[in-house]
Amino acid sequence: GLLLAALLGSHMLLTKEGVTSMPICPNGSVNCQLSLEELFDRAVKLSHYIHYLSSEMFNEFDERYAQGRGFIAKAVNSCHTASLTTPEDKEQAQQIHHEDLLNLILGVLRSWNDPLIHLASEVQRIKEAPETILWKAVEIEEQNKRLLEGMEKIVGRVHSGEVENEIYTPWDGLPSLQLADEDSRLFAFYNLLHCLRRDSHKIDNYLKVLKCRLIHDNNC
Amino acid sequence: DLLQWPQISKCRSPEMETFSCFWTAGNFYNLTVPRILQLLYKKSNEEDWKECPDYMTSGQNSCYFNASYTSVWTPYCVQLASKSEVYDKKCFSVDEIVLPDPPVNLNWTLLNTSQTGIHGDIQVRWDPPPTADVRKGWITLEYELQYKEVNETKWKELKPRLSTMVPLYSLKTARDYEIRIRSRQRTSEKFGEFSEILYVSFSQIGIGCDHCTEEVEFPWFLVVVFGVCGLAVTVISIMLSKQPRLKMLIFPPVPVPKIKGIDPDLLKKGKLDEVNSILACHDNYKTQLYIDDLWVEFIELDIEDPDEKNRASDTDRLLSEDHLKSHSSLGAKDDDSGRASCCEPDIPETDFSASDTCDATSDSDQFKKATEKEEDLLCLDRQDNDEALPSLANTDLQRQHRSTQSENSHLWAPFGDSVESPRPSVHTQISNQNSLASSDFYAQVSDITPAGRVVLSPGQKSKLGRAQHEGCTEPSFTMDNTYFCEADVKKCIAVTSHEENEPRVQEQGYNEDGYFTTESLTTTVANFGASTAAAPSSEMPVADYTSIHIVQSPQGLVLNATALPVPDKEFNTSCGYVSTDQLNKIMP
Repeated sequence: GLLLAALLGSHMLLTKEGVTSMPICPNGSVNCQLSLEELFDRAVKLSHYIHYLSSEMFNEFDERYAQGRGFIAKAVNSCHTASLTTPEDKEQAQQIHHEDLLNLILGVLRSWNDPLIHLASEVQRIKEAPETILWKAVEIEEQNKRLLEGMEKIVGRVHSGEVENEIYTPWDGLPSLQLADEDSRLFAFYNLLHCLRRDSHKIDNYLKVLKCRLIHDNNC
Repeated sequence: DLLQWPQISKCRSPEMETFSCFWTAGNFYNLTVPRILQLLYKKSNEEDWKECPDYMTSGQNSCYFNASYTSVWTPYCVQLASKSEVYDKKCFSVDEIVLPDPPVNLNWTLLNTSQTGIHGDIQVRWDPPPTADVRKGWITLEYELQYKEVNETKWKELKPRLSTMVPLYSLKTARDYEIRIRSRQRTSEKFGEFSEILYVSFSQIGIGCDHCTEEVEFPWFLVVVFGVCGLAVTVISIMLSKQPRLKMLIFPPVPVPKIKGIDPDLLKKGKLDEVNSILACHDNYKTQLYIDDLWVEFIELDIEDPDEKNRASDTDRLLSEDHLKSHSSLGAKDDDSGRASCCEPDIPETDFSASDTCDATSDSDQFKKATEKEEDLLCLDRQDNDEALPSLANTDLQRQHRSTQSENSHLWAPFGDSVESPRPSVHTQISNQNSLASSDFYAQVSDITPAGRVVLSPGQKSKLGRAQHEGCTEPSFTMDNTYFCEADVKKCIAVTSHEENEPRVQEQGYNEDGYFTTESLTTTVANFGASTAAAPSSEMPVADYTSIHIVQSPQGLVLNATALPVPDKEFNTSCGYVSTDQLNKIMP
């Protein structure tokens, strides 16, 4: 039932946002390759979708559980991906080399793989969690995997040298999602969702910048 | 005036590169030293509060953070404070407070006009806000356009879209329009400010339609008039149509009176005798048995189809004990006539109630019950105990007796030999007869009421039990019993070893489905010399028997309202049959 709802919802959302399943090789040729432009288009669509889902999920969680608990004041804390030095403004984003930026994007995506899996499973244990939050968590986790695959393809195309060491930040927030105290547990969820919204926005922005820079020559 | 503290009203970033915070000063007037408000800020990874770098650029009561101070995804906290105290504090990150500037350079072009020149399509174009760096993809905007006629109050909205141009269709060329656009970051919810209003006037480009007539409003009046006419025509046509089903669907017919179980044709065409016989078969019918009264006041009857199969099966049912037990077909009725209403509660199973809607039992069931009733009417069974048989009006009592299976009152015992299954019941009856030496086996018809009901009186005890059919050796039968039991007849026939009679009786009885007809009875009785004719006498004491007036095949007998004097006890009541001699003695 949950999976069905997730599939249905994701289809609706995808068709709404324009992300549908596109054939890898349009004409069915054997050695076809997607153009870089096509790859970037898909990546941008996916990242936008993920950010949209994260944003909605955070808003719903905020409405449902955070009101009156004073979470907002406390949420000035760091996310587990803060150790990754990502560009913080437009200038920095313009100056960083695209390969580095791609690697950073990959690093952030990989770092979120684990937390998203646990988020999808732990959010179901929240008392009376709305169905919308549940299926969004599942959907985000799935789409994140797809985006990771796409990004690895792009990196394979774009990268001209040796592949650097993988950038990755481990996540150790699982115990906080399983706290016995409900307030503490909900606060942990709140922070995680807040970080997710922020990082998905980052990824979306970086990809758009890269797309405009590499594909459209800064003239989107 | 309410006291208003200094408050941070909002913080806003128009392009995700800089941001500003705005506050209100409140209405403190009681400070001698004009207070100096400061905006302090702190990034999440810093310890110290720093003061606002620019109080001027964004206007009064504002703080402007330029690009060097702005880190997009870093959490900030700002606080409004004087030297002594903190008035307000806000925490946010810059990506959350993006509110773009309005679009610029709105213009429109005509796409085409309709043939009549009344309507036209236009295309509206604009440019993104200059501050937002859309070209490098740093920010992605979507736009919402609103338009209205000049003298309207409510704006029409279009769906937010990413492109910077949109067509507007079917604008009236005779009117002027206003258009405004606002933008927001694509994944945000809040829009920025509206752009300047764009005025659209068709007359300016020379296609204004001065002589165009006003658009005709929807002709509600005509619609209503034609609708009513159409409806009337439809109704009339339905009423006049020959299609009965359609008519019935819309105008359902009023149900006509109908009596369940009575074939109206029979009543129209049947002879009086037949009708009477049909109606007389059941004990719970209240017709008036006046010969000259053709029509019954109250019919509770079901008409069986002359279906042999049904009859045969009914005979089985009649003869089986379970069947006897379960019947309560003789309802307790009072003498009131006119019971045309359905389903009186005091009659448990008025299958014969004069209403079609009452009962859903099948015809065969009705027939079964009818036959049972006939059986009751025709042949009182032996009783097990000393309970007197009340009048026929209390046949529910009989029913109770019957339910114990040993107290059935039958006018005619079921014709057991002709059918195999009833044989046990016959034997039971026989055994009952044997065992119940002290109870009445038969009831006498003491009277027949003017309504036609047969009133029974308890039989006399002495009339019991010589149901020893083995003992039925003499041809002389007591005539204490008013009814002739088929079983007795059979046995007597057998005893007298009139083999040929038996089959005849049997077959006749079989043909008649268990009942003796006049013919069979006369045959039987004639064998023993009993005659069935009896002269009616007007005033009688309780008679032991009643002669048969009419026997209507196949339903049964109509008994004469005669009462014969109580016979002397000299008569043997072996089988309840009256020999001719006995009869002659009795009759005057």
